Amino acid sequence: MGVMRRVRTAVAGCVLVVLAAASASCGLQTAGGAVPSGTLAGDLADAPDLDGVEISVGSKNFTENILLAKIALILFKSAGAEVLDLTNIPGSAAARQAHLSGDIDAMWEYTGTGWLQYLTQPKPIKDEQKQYEAVRDLDLEENGLVWLPPAPMNNTYAFAVTQKNAKKYGITKLSQIGEVPVADRTFCIESEFRDRDDGLEGMLKTYDVPFGTPKGVPEDNLQIYQTGAIYDATASGNCVFGEVFTTDGRILALDLQVLEDDRQYFPHYNVSLVLREELHEAHPEIEELIAPVTEKLTNKTLIRLNAEVDVDGEDPTDVAEGWLRDEGFIE
Amino acid sequence: MSDLRGDTAVTAGPDAGPVRRARRIDRETAGMLVVPPVLVLLVVAGFVWWRQTADLDATERRQLRWSTVLDQVVQHVQLTVAASVLVVLIAVPLGIMLTRGRLSRFSPLVVGIANIGQSAPSIGLLVLTWIWLNDFGFWSGFRVAVLTLTLYGLLPVLRNTITGLQGVDPALVEAGRGIGMSGPAVLLRVEMPLALPVIMAGVRTSLVLVVGTATLATFINGGGLGSTITSGINLFRFSVMVAGAVLVAALALLVEWLGRVLEVLARPKGL
Repeated sequence: MGVMRRVRTAVAGCVLVVLAAASASCGLQTAGGAVPSGTLAGDLADAPDLDGVEISVGSKNFTENILLAKIALILFKSAGAEVLDLTNIPGSAAARQAHLSGDIDAMWEYTGTGWLQYLTQPKPIKDEQKQYEAVRDLDLEENGLVWLPPAPMNNTYAFAVTQKNAKKYGITKLSQIGEVPVADRTFCIESEFRDRDDGLEGMLKTYDVPFGTPKGVPEDNLQIYQTGAIYDATASGNCVFGEVFTTDGRILALDLQVLEDDRQYFPHYNVSLVLREELHEAHPEIEELIAPVTEKLTNKTLIRLNAEVDVDGEDPTDVAEGWLRDEGFIE
Repeated sequence: MSDLRGDTAVTAGPDAGPVRRARRIDRETAGMLVVPPVLVLLVVAGFVWWRQTADLDATERRQLRWSTVLDQVVQHVQLTVAASVLVVLIAVPLGIMLTRGRLSRFSPLVVGIANIGQSAPSIGLLVLTWIWLNDFGFWSGFRVAVLTLTLYGLLPVLRNTITGLQGVDPALVEAGRGIGMSGPAVLLRVEMPLALPVIMAGVRTSLVLVVGTATLATFINGGGLGSTITSGINLFRFSVMVAGAVLVAALALLVEWLGRVLEVLARPKGL
């Protein structure tokens, strides 16, 4: 529902802009609202300042990416930089384009997205660190974009079960699907996940419960839903396994348990702040400033922050500022 | 029925000739009866040819697996038929009631409510209804989809039933009563036959609406061709998306055509 609200807001915003300025451009408007700031504290108390440095921070149009961008904006401004808020750009293709063209200096990107989508590599790399290094090297060489060291958080596909089912079947990881009776191996997924190369069929094969076989997962055990409805369907028991994203706030809200991908089937989508090379060369100290913050970004943290926005309806800027203060990065 | 003929406008075709008690089909109607099935056949043949010869990658082959496509077509037809039958069963009797005596003053209110059903954003209506009803065991995704499609298709049939019945010349109703017919008999033998073309036009509109909207059923595990379209959009496989959309369009044409055939068959002789 959050997406719809943002789309509506964006559309309404565009209409207003067009009416007010009679200009057709709805591309890169600032997302609105002032960027709060404080003084650097704790681990960052001695961090170098960015007095007068101009940095534009962009984001795609989903909660997590906006939240992370707000965190960077608040942090940079607290360090003395003059920031430009270019968050909430509709679609990852448009956001990437703005980053490549130089409208955006800094944006949080996901290693898997960069590797598979932007750099159109055919296969993900199994090892998390190697995946990061590969995308870092190639994107720098081809596009002059610098991927700073990634966060522990990994926003990838996963399957979740209710706490009740986790107990009932004694299951904590995907390799245990085979221990669940065939009739109960029911999956709620998006139609996209059924059809994509790194989707359901490959996953079930990896975990030795092949799709469409009576001893694996029969075709009738599949239910197709829209992304948001999957969380409700799983929580209500329409199926045992629900396709989720690992940092989605609804995991917390509906008390779902994410199963471990113990055979590393899904690509890694660790988040990393990506800077344009010019900015990185002129101000390498940005790396020092953001590193302690990046380290704190775990799945657990992001699930909680995402839930505060998507479930409790709080403003991303407030959530970002609150978290930075709680962690003692700013005062 | 032939007694009534003199009072109603009858467009005599050039080949009408001497008075025959056959159904008259003018040239336009004939065209509408012949062209759509031919078009649908061509489209389906085109799809089959493309599916067999096109150079598809693994993802596209998975999306357009024959068993998958056939399943989805069958589900789409089931959704459409179930919803349309419910629409007719609800809207026609309701429309009749709303044109009878005292109840007719409620007709603006009921049409207003049906209007809301149609103007509510269909995807929101569908997903919210599903979330709401999901905890009651009876409401599978398919049933919730049929329910919302029914709400969605109600308005055209209801409105046309009311309009059609109101459009019947009161003199004919009077004449019916004059020769000793009871109220229900006048309704069945005079009013309904005369209002039928208008009602059927509403049914056809509703059928097409339901076929199109049934693409959303996939969001709540209701099945149908929407799955292919959605997956095509999300995975940037535009040929797959277009294929799904074309199949839905062909289905809509076919269903519209069936509506027309029904209309011609049900039309009173001599009208």
